[in-house]
Amino acid sequence: MVEKQASRILGRHVVQSPPEVSFCAGCRACEIVCSLLHDGVVGPYYKRIFVDKGTRSMVSTVYSCQHCADHPCYLACPRKDQAMCLDENGIVYIQEEYCNGCKRCVKACVFDPPRINYVQSKDKSKRKAKKCDLCRNRPEGPACIEFCQVSCLSLSDQG
Amino acid sequence: MTQLYGYVGKIARINLTDQTVSIIPTTKYVPKYIGGRSIANRIFWEEVGPGVKAFDPENKIIYMTGPTTGTGIPTGGRTVFTCISPNSYPEQYAWSGIGGDFGAEVKFAGFDGFIIEGKAAEPTYLFIEDGEIKFLSARNLWGKLVHATQSKLEEIHGKDVKSVVIGPAGENLVRNASVTTSNDNVAAKAGLGAVFGSKNLKAITVRGTGVVVPANIPKVLELRKKMSDPSMAPRPVVHETHHGIPGIEKPVPGGWKRAQVACSYGCNQHCMCLMLDMKSAFGEERVNHVEKCVSIVAFGFEEDVPYGGPGGPGGIFQTEQNHYPACKLLSREVDPPDPSDPYLELEITPGPGDILNFWKHDFDKGSVINDLCNEYGLDKWDVLIWLLPWLAMGKKEGVFDDIDFGMEIDVESEEFVKYLLDMIVYRKGYYGNLLAEGMARAIRTLGKEKFGDTIYHGRYSRQINKRLDLPISLESAWGHCVHWQGRGFEASIAKPAWVATNLHQMTSTRDTQTVQHHHDTFEHYLELKDDPCRSPLTAQAVIMGENKAELKDSLTSCDWQSPNLFWTDMEAQMFEAATGIPMTEEELNNAAERSRLLFRAIIIRNHGRTREMEVNAIFAIMQYPDPWGETVTWEEWNDLVDLYYEQRGWDKKTGWPTRETYEKYGLKDVADELEAIGKLPSSK
Repeated sequence: MVEKQASRILGRHVVQSPPEVSFCAGCRACEIVCSLLHDGVVGPYYKRIFVDKGTRSMVSTVYSCQHCADHPCYLACPRKDQAMCLDENGIVYIQEEYCNGCKRCVKACVFDPPRINYVQSKDKSKRKAKKCDLCRNRPEGPACIEFCQVSCLSLSDQG
Repeated sequence: MTQLYGYVGKIARINLTDQTVSIIPTTKYVPKYIGGRSIANRIFWEEVGPGVKAFDPENKIIYMTGPTTGTGIPTGGRTVFTCISPNSYPEQYAWSGIGGDFGAEVKFAGFDGFIIEGKAAEPTYLFIEDGEIKFLSARNLWGKLVHATQSKLEEIHGKDVKSVVIGPAGENLVRNASVTTSNDNVAAKAGLGAVFGSKNLKAITVRGTGVVVPANIPKVLELRKKMSDPSMAPRPVVHETHHGIPGIEKPVPGGWKRAQVACSYGCNQHCMCLMLDMKSAFGEERVNHVEKCVSIVAFGFEEDVPYGGPGGPGGIFQTEQNHYPACKLLSREVDPPDPSDPYLELEITPGPGDILNFWKHDFDKGSVINDLCNEYGLDKWDVLIWLLPWLAMGKKEGVFDDIDFGMEIDVESEEFVKYLLDMIVYRKGYYGNLLAEGMARAIRTLGKEKFGDTIYHGRYSRQINKRLDLPISLESAWGHCVHWQGRGFEASIAKPAWVATNLHQMTSTRDTQTVQHHHDTFEHYLELKDDPCRSPLTAQAVIMGENKAELKDSLTSCDWQSPNLFWTDMEAQMFEAATGIPMTEEELNNAAERSRLLFRAIIIRNHGRTREMEVNAIFAIMQYPDPWGETVTWEEWNDLVDLYYEQRGWDKKTGWPTRETYEKYGLKDVADELEAIGKLPSSK
């Protein structure tokens, strides 16, 4: 898995600064504004960025979609170009009304933990994948970056 | 069903005795009782009558989130517990706030709060997942330290669960035991850990996959950018060469690493200092732990906090140009004073704090003390401001010459502190058992005249260059120790401020200055400073502070962002953004008054609170001089109490609210019940 990740060509993506630049405060603002702006709710299934806070260490690691250039999640989608789409900037995004909740994109994600969230529900029609789209329709750019109180998130130079 | 914003709609009644759960709709209480402590006060009034003791199964632990919890509104991650507190002296109804991610997770699991009643037959923990509540055996958790318990629960249920747990102190009914989240946030002021222990309740572990829906998302985002002016700038790990209270830091050989982290889910500040790679009390492995305020004196307590003046940035009396919340002070993001402030020179009159000489600076020992408190689940205030200074002062005064702890009393010694806290937490021997009963009770058992009131001769004021009296026991009122009260610790505030903080304390059942640090405007200060006990402005500011504290624990919000004296409807905006229910500042203040009245009614009905009782409880500590040699006279104090009761609408003779006051805030039923038991003042 590690080798596979290391050799990947990545698109521009949200990155966490090293602690000597800025130390994540663990406030989860990135998760919160992500789900608020995409879905109008706050909840663990609705975030597209993930804060892993050390229980004893209180050191937090932020996981985000790496926007792989070969986008295996997009390729795995049985409804590609309807549910999982690719825009002119190479950003893979989801049109949820077409997502059937098959979870193949989550399984196709090469990263551990997977960077695609998934709404689990007894109601099959509510099962949806949730993936970072870099707030592609938001003029201010990714909300997680804008609302990070310690500016420890930024866009990578790659892509 | 109408969409509910802010709240998630259910309160779970959890009976540990028969392992049953029932559901109460949150709408039974809201919006009239807002959320958090307001709801808890109402439930407690309805369900727990007089005669119930802290460790009785009939005592109830009420845990409540607020409508802002989990919405993304800053500070909403704080939540509140209430119960009859074993740490209050005498035992009384009290509350304790807590941060962390736990509260938001409770809402994601579908609950606005819990009423925990009864007593489990054997060690138990609650596992709550998406509306389902299980009673699981805690036999394999019992005896574990706080972080080991947190880790074990994650091992069992997965890394994404959030837990509040007790350590050995709570299990052994140590009266100042705390309840702790995974990020060293504690509910410590009401002895809640011991109430958990008395119910054989080791932990509550939650996983939720649901959602919280705020009513007004643009407003939530606006509040995130506006509340307390978040820095929105990088905060790297800093290598520090010194440590201590700003202005009196001491060098640390080899230095140490500091980061800043947020206390609770979704806050927009980072007031907690995360100390990295610190010495542990329990092994060779280095640990990280947080330092907020009182932890700082664990590392050295030779002198008190310096006096900054009556006002100025961060001061008690504030101007529009120069005020900032406490979180800025703790994250060290204070801007230089604004020179356009017309009162600036009057506000800032710095001076050194009292010399106390309790213990020398020892960085590793300080870390060990904090680690012991964190892992055992003990209230640090009681340990750092009461127990250890008592031993330091008492030893110098020869009070303990005939006492044998089994090890020589030496608060400078890391080994002694470890021995002492182990003895207390595990109730070893006569003195371990005695001190586990809390300082107020232990000192009375030993004999208060000698073991509490003996004068320490090592206090020296650098404000007036004179030795001043200080009792070896820094007790204020209700079984709690001093906190911003003009003597002891954080004593460097002048009389116009400390008469207010003592008035806050008088009407409470626990230390108040964690949730209602006193604030007023500098213009008021100029009016009241010459005779603060005879100024209605002092009482008015205390009432404002008390009401804001009710709101902080109800919405919820935080003492370090609220009140903002120059944005007075901030809390109303928070409530409306979360719930969509229109709310004016006045309406919200009325809700706070209602909550405060319920608290008052509980302590009158259940604990016999009267004016005589509370005036006597607080008056003694104010007879020791402040750093300027000032005290308060009986007449002054009673004049202030008169002004306060009058403004509150309480009877001046008894201290009991009048029927008119209860009815004004929609509490006729409370007035009726109090009248039936003779605890409503007679109408004239």
